[in-house]
Amino acid sequence: MSRFIARRLLLLPFVALGVTALIFSLTQLLTPAMRASLYITDPRQLNGLPDIIRKYHLDQPVYVQYWEWLRQVAHGDLGWSETAREPVLAAVQGFFPATFELAAYSFACILALGIWLGTASAVRKDQIIDHISRFTSISGASLPTFVWGLVLLMIFYGHFGWFPPGRLGLDADLFVRSGRFHPYTGLLTVDALLNRQWWLLWDAARHLVLPVATLTYFLTATLVRITRSSMLETLRADYVRTAEAKGLPRAVVVDRHARRNALIPVITLASLLFVGLLSGVVITETVFNWPGIGRWGVAASQQLDIPAVTGFALIFAAMLVLGNLCADVLYAVVDPRIRLR
Amino acid sequence: MAYLGGDDAERRHAEGRSRRAESRQRAVGVVVQRGLVVAVAMLVAVLMYGTGARGAASESVRNPDSLVLLTYGDPESLDPAYAYDTTSDGVIWPGIYETLITYDGSVLSRYVPRLATAVPSVANGLISKDGLTYTFPIRQGVHFHDGTVMTPADVRYSMLRFMLQDRDGGPSWLLLTPLLGTDSTRDSKGNVVVKYADAAKAVTVEGQNVVFHLNHPYAAFLSILSAWSFVLPEKWAAAHGDWDGSAASWTKYNNPKLQDRYEFDHTNGTGPFMLQTWDRQTKELILVRNDHYWRAPAKLARVVIRTVSEFPARQLELQRGDADVIAVDRPDQTKVTGIAGVTVQDGYPTLVIQVMHFNQKIDSTANPDVGSGKLDGNGIPPDFFSDVHVRRGFAYAFDYNTFIRDAFRGKALQPNGPIIQGLLGYDASLPKFTFDKQKAIAEFKEAWGGKLWDTGFHFTETYNTGNAARQIGAQIIKDVVESLNPKFKVDIRNIQFSSFLQVTVEHKGTLYALGWAADYPDPDDFAQPFLASNGDYPKRNGFSDPRADQLVKQGAETADPAKRAQIYRELTKIAYDDVPGIYEAQATQFVVMRSWVHGWYYNAILPPLANVGFDFYTITKQ
Amino acid sequence: MSAVRTPTLTAPGAAPARRGQQTAWQRTLRRFRRNPLSVLGLCIVVFFTAVALIAPLLAHPTERNAYMIPHQGYSSDPHPPGPEHPFGTTEEQFDLYYGVIWGTRSAFLVALTVVAFGLVVALTLGSLSGYYGGWVDEVVMRVTDIFLAFPPLILAVVIVAVLGQSVRNAMIAIAAVQWPTYTRLLRAEFLRVRDMDFVEAARALGVSDFLIIMRHVVPNTIYPMLILASLDMGGIVINFAALSFLGLGAPPGYADWGQLISLSKNWILGTAGDPFQFWYTLVVPGTAIFLFVLGWNLLGDAFRDIFDPRQQGSM
Repeated sequence: MSRFIARRLLLLPFVALGVTALIFSLTQLLTPAMRASLYITDPRQLNGLPDIIRKYHLDQPVYVQYWEWLRQVAHGDLGWSETAREPVLAAVQGFFPATFELAAYSFACILALGIWLGTASAVRKDQIIDHISRFTSISGASLPTFVWGLVLLMIFYGHFGWFPPGRLGLDADLFVRSGRFHPYTGLLTVDALLNRQWWLLWDAARHLVLPVATLTYFLTATLVRITRSSMLETLRADYVRTAEAKGLPRAVVVDRHARRNALIPVITLASLLFVGLLSGVVITETVFNWPGIGRWGVAASQQLDIPAVTGFALIFAAMLVLGNLCADVLYAVVDPRIRLR
Repeated sequence: MAYLGGDDAERRHAEGRSRRAESRQRAVGVVVQRGLVVAVAMLVAVLMYGTGARGAASESVRNPDSLVLLTYGDPESLDPAYAYDTTSDGVIWPGIYETLITYDGSVLSRYVPRLATAVPSVANGLISKDGLTYTFPIRQGVHFHDGTVMTPADVRYSMLRFMLQDRDGGPSWLLLTPLLGTDSTRDSKGNVVVKYADAAKAVTVEGQNVVFHLNHPYAAFLSILSAWSFVLPEKWAAAHGDWDGSAASWTKYNNPKLQDRYEFDHTNGTGPFMLQTWDRQTKELILVRNDHYWRAPAKLARVVIRTVSEFPARQLELQRGDADVIAVDRPDQTKVTGIAGVTVQDGYPTLVIQVMHFNQKIDSTANPDVGSGKLDGNGIPPDFFSDVHVRRGFAYAFDYNTFIRDAFRGKALQPNGPIIQGLLGYDASLPKFTFDKQKAIAEFKEAWGGKLWDTGFHFTETYNTGNAARQIGAQIIKDVVESLNPKFKVDIRNIQFSSFLQVTVEHKGTLYALGWAADYPDPDDFAQPFLASNGDYPKRNGFSDPRADQLVKQGAETADPAKRAQIYRELTKIAYDDVPGIYEAQATQFVVMRSWVHGWYYNAILPPLANVGFDFYTITKQ
Repeated sequence: MSAVRTPTLTAPGAAPARRGQQTAWQRTLRRFRRNPLSVLGLCIVVFFTAVALIAPLLAHPTERNAYMIPHQGYSSDPHPPGPEHPFGTTEEQFDLYYGVIWGTRSAFLVALTVVAFGLVVALTLGSLSGYYGGWVDEVVMRVTDIFLAFPPLILAVVIVAVLGQSVRNAMIAIAAVQWPTYTRLLRAEFLRVRDMDFVEAARALGVSDFLIIMRHVVPNTIYPMLILASLDMGGIVINFAALSFLGLGAPPGYADWGQLISLSKNWILGTAGDPFQFWYTLVVPGTAIFLFVLGWNLLGDAFRDIFDPRQQGSM
C-alpha cells in the first residue's frame, strides 16, 4: 500500500510540471504586445506599451520565462496576479475557503440526493419513480448552469427576496470585518457557529442556498445514473438473487448488502464529481457573484493572467492527484478484492 | 448462507425488520409522491404569481447612513500617481484625495479653490502675464487622514511625485507636458532622459505658496490641475518605502510595478472620506467618513463600492433596495425604468466621443483582417484607407441617425469633428457628413483611380466584445457598404477588449471604433490625440497633416479664448476635409439610483463609477 | 462488451432460424421499444437530425455566411413573437426562428466534429497504448494525466483566449478538453479485448498487428464508443454554451443556441412590471438545447441498457 501511495505521489511534480509547461507553451502563440494586454485597462494607457513589455520581460523567449517562473516557485513565490491585484498565493488562500464552502455543501447534497434517487430508481426499475427521477436528474444537466442560476435568482431573490446573491449581506459583511469576529476556518457558516453569532450563520446560510441548489441540480444527474446502474448490477448479482429466492425481503437485501457493494464505483465517481464541481463552480460563482476561486480563475483565463492561471492550475492538479489517490485507497479499503500494486 | 435458515429468533427478527423496512419503503414512496405534488403546486403558484407585485420595495430607507454603489469594473490602484482608469480615479477623487482647485459644481468653465485658497488668474495676479507662472496660495489647517498637517512642501512633493513616478501608460504626462515640455521621463528605449533639476525648477515653494513654472504657455493648465493635482503627505510616503523627495534617488522609483508602492492599497489624503477596506477578493471597497475634514464632515457615514459584473444581479439588488446606485448600459435601460422607488435621470451631456478610425498604414503581416492584402477584390492593401475618396465613401455610408437611435436610444448627437459640444471652439454650424448612399457611391467610384468600383474589396472590421454600440456601428457599416456594390464585402470580428487594444497598437486594425474621454475639459485634450501627428490616434493610424500640427500647437499656447475658438474651428474643418475617422456619436448619459438618494450633482469630468461620476460629499439618503 | 456477440451480430435482419425464436437484433429492438424513455430519446434525435438537414428550406439564408442570423434594424430591445418573427427576436433584432433552425445545424456540426476528433485520437492513441503497452502506454497515460489535471472549463477558456474567439477555436478548445477521457476509456477497452482468446488465436496464426486491431479489436469497441459519443453530444453543446456565456464562444449574431441563450441573460429578469416580458429569449433557445441534450442523454442511456450483455438473458 505504501509503495502504491509513494508512486502516486511521485506523479504529482511530474503532472505539475506538465500542466504549467503546457500553459506557458500556449502563450508562445501570442505576441509580446498581446501578453502585455493584461496590464492595459484603458486606451489612454497604451502609450506605455513598450515599457510594459520591458518591465515584465514579455519579449523573452518562452523557455526563459518558464525558467524564471520555476525559480520563483522554488522560492515559494507564485508570482503576482494582475486580475486579483494580489500575490497569487494570497489570492488562492483568500478565494479557496469560499469555494470550498460552496463545493462542500454541494458535494454533500449531490451525494445524498444522487444516492437516494439512484437507489430508489434501481429498486423500482421502470416504474414511475424511476422515470421521474431519471428525467429530473437528466433535465438538470440539460441546460447550461447559468440558466438555472438566473432563473432561481429571479424567482427566489427577485420575487420572494429570500436568497440573495453574494456571500453576505451588508450588515453581516461589516460585522465580519470588524474586530469582534474571529475567522477560524474561512468558512463563514463554520466560523459563525464558532463565534456563536447565530444571525450571521443564518445570513451566510441564506446566501448559500441558491448557488448550492444550482450546482446540485446540475451535477446530480451523473451520480444518479451511476448509482442506478451500479445498483442494478448488484441487484442482479448471484448472492442477491439467492437471498431473494430464500425469501428475504427486498428492503433488507438492498439495505444490508446491495447498497454497500453498489457504492464502490460511487467512490470513484466522487473524484469525477470533484472535477465537475470545480468546473461548474466557475459559472455559478460568476452568476451569484460568489468570491471564489472559480470566478477568479475564469477572469484570469480570459485576460491571460499567466501567473494566476499557472498558480491556479498547480493547485488544482495537486488537489486532483491527491483526490484520486484518496479515492483509490478508499476503493481498496472498501473492496477486499482489490489489491493495490 | 449463515443468516438464512438460522434460528427462528433471528428469522423473526429479520422478518420484523423487513416489515418495518417495507413500510419504510412505502412511506418513502408516499413522501416522494407528495413532494412532487407540492413542487408542482409551488411551480404553478410561482408562475401565476409571476406577474404580480415585484419584491416589495420597502418605503423606508435601507442602510440610511451608507451608500451602496454597484459598478462593473474594479479599481486598478489607489495610488493617485499610478491610476489612469475610470474606476480607480472615481474612487480616488474627489472622495479620498483632493486637488488644489476644482470645477464649480457642474460648470466646467469656472473653478473654485480647494486645497488652495484662491483660483489663480491674470486679474488677481496669480498668473503671470506671459502665462508661464501660476501661483497657488495653500490653505492652512488642513489635515491628512493620519492627522498630520498639510504643508506646501507636501503639495510640491505630490506634484513632483506625480510627474516623476511616470509609470508606463500612466497619467504623468498630464503634468509633464505643460511643465517640462515632454510627455515622458524616458526615451523610447526606456532610459531616463529628464533631469531632476528641471523638475525641481518647475514646481517651487515660496512661503505659503506653491508656484508652477510652465515650459510653454498652456491655456488649459488650470483645467488639468482641477482634475489631477492630488496631494498626499511626503513624510508618510517616504516612511513607507516611497521616494523621499531627494534628487539622488528619484530614478529608483521611476516606472514601478503596480504592487511596488505602498500607496497602491493604502491611502492618506485630505478628502471627506477615508479608505477602510479594499477587499480584492469580494471586490469591495469601503470608505468611511473623515470626521476631521477641513470643511464640515460629510453626511454619509459610509460608502460601499462593489464590483458586480453581471447586470441581472445588479438589477435585482437595486430593485430590492440592497443597492442604491448601479451601473447600467444603454441597451439595458428599459429594464430599470418603472421600478418602484427607483429614479432614472437622463440627458446628461458627456465629454466622450465615439470614433471609427481608418488605419491608413495597416501592418498586413499575420493579419487575419486584410484578406489577400491586395486590391484584387479578395482583400485590401495596407494603404487602402490612405485614399481620401475611400474614407469619404465610408463616411457617407454610415447611417448616423439609425446608429444614434438604436445604439443610444436617440440620446446622442452627431459630432462634426473631434472638438465636441461642451468644449471651447465647438461650432454646430460647421459642416459634417450625412448618411447619403448616392454620395458614397460617387466617392467609391473615384477611389483608387476608378479601379475600386470594379475590383471590389474584402476586409474584416473588429470591435471589442461586449460593447453593443460598437457592434451596432460595425454592423451598420457592413450592411450599408455591402448594399452599394456586390463586390464590396465586409466581415465583422469581435475580440476581447485588451486584445483589441493590442491590435490597434500593432497597426493591425483596419476600420475600428474607439472612444475617447476627456482628461480635462479643454479642446486641446481632443485635438492633439486626434489630429496632431504625434497624437495617439494619428500615430496608430498613419495619419499626418502639417496644417493640423501647426494649429494644434497654436491652440495650446494661445491664451485668448476667442482666438482659440477660431483655431479649433479651423481644426474641425480640417477633420472634415481629411476624414481621419468617422465621428459617430457624442452620447448623453443617464443615472439610475434609488429615490431616497439626494444631493448628487452631475459633473462631466468626474470619472464615471456608475454611468456618471459621484461626489459623495454632498450625498444624503432620506 | 462481450466477445460472444461478434460472431452472431453480422448483418441486421439475419433471418430467424426457426419460428418462435428471435435474433439478437429483434430482441434488442423489442427491449428498446418497451422503454418509453428510449423511444422518446430516439424520436427527439431523429427530429433534430431532420431539422438540421432541411434547415435551408425551413429558413432561407440571406447573409453571405448562412450561419449569421439576419436582422432587421439594430434596436436593443427584443420583440415578442409575431407575424414577421414567429419566435420573436433577441436584442439587436436577431430572428430567433432562424437562429434556432440553423442552430440545430451548428449544434450537430460542433458536437459531431468534437466527438469525431475525440474518437479518432482515442482510437489511434488508445489502440497503440492498449495493444502495445510498455513505454508507449506510459507516455500516453502521462500526457492524458496532464490534460486531465486541468480544470476543463479553464483550459478551454485559456485556449480560446490565446487563439482568438471564433467557432473553430471554440471547437478546438472543447476537443482539447475531451480527448483524454475518450482515450482513457478506449484504452481500457483495448486492454480488455487484447487478452481474449480469438485475438490470441489470430496472433498465433501470424496475422499482422494492424489487421488484428482493425478487424477484431476495433469492432468490439464500437458499443462503448457509441454510448460515450451519444452521451457526450449533449455535454459538448452545453460546454459550448458556457463558452458563449463567457464571451468566448460563437460571435454575436451567429446561429448557435448557446450564443442565443447567453444573449438572453440580461433579459431573463424582464422589467419591473413584468418579469416574464422577454420569456421567449430564454424559452426558445432553451427548449432547443434542453431537448437536444435530453434526447442524446436518453438515447445514450438506452444504448447502454441495450448493449449491456449482462442483460441479455434477463428478458
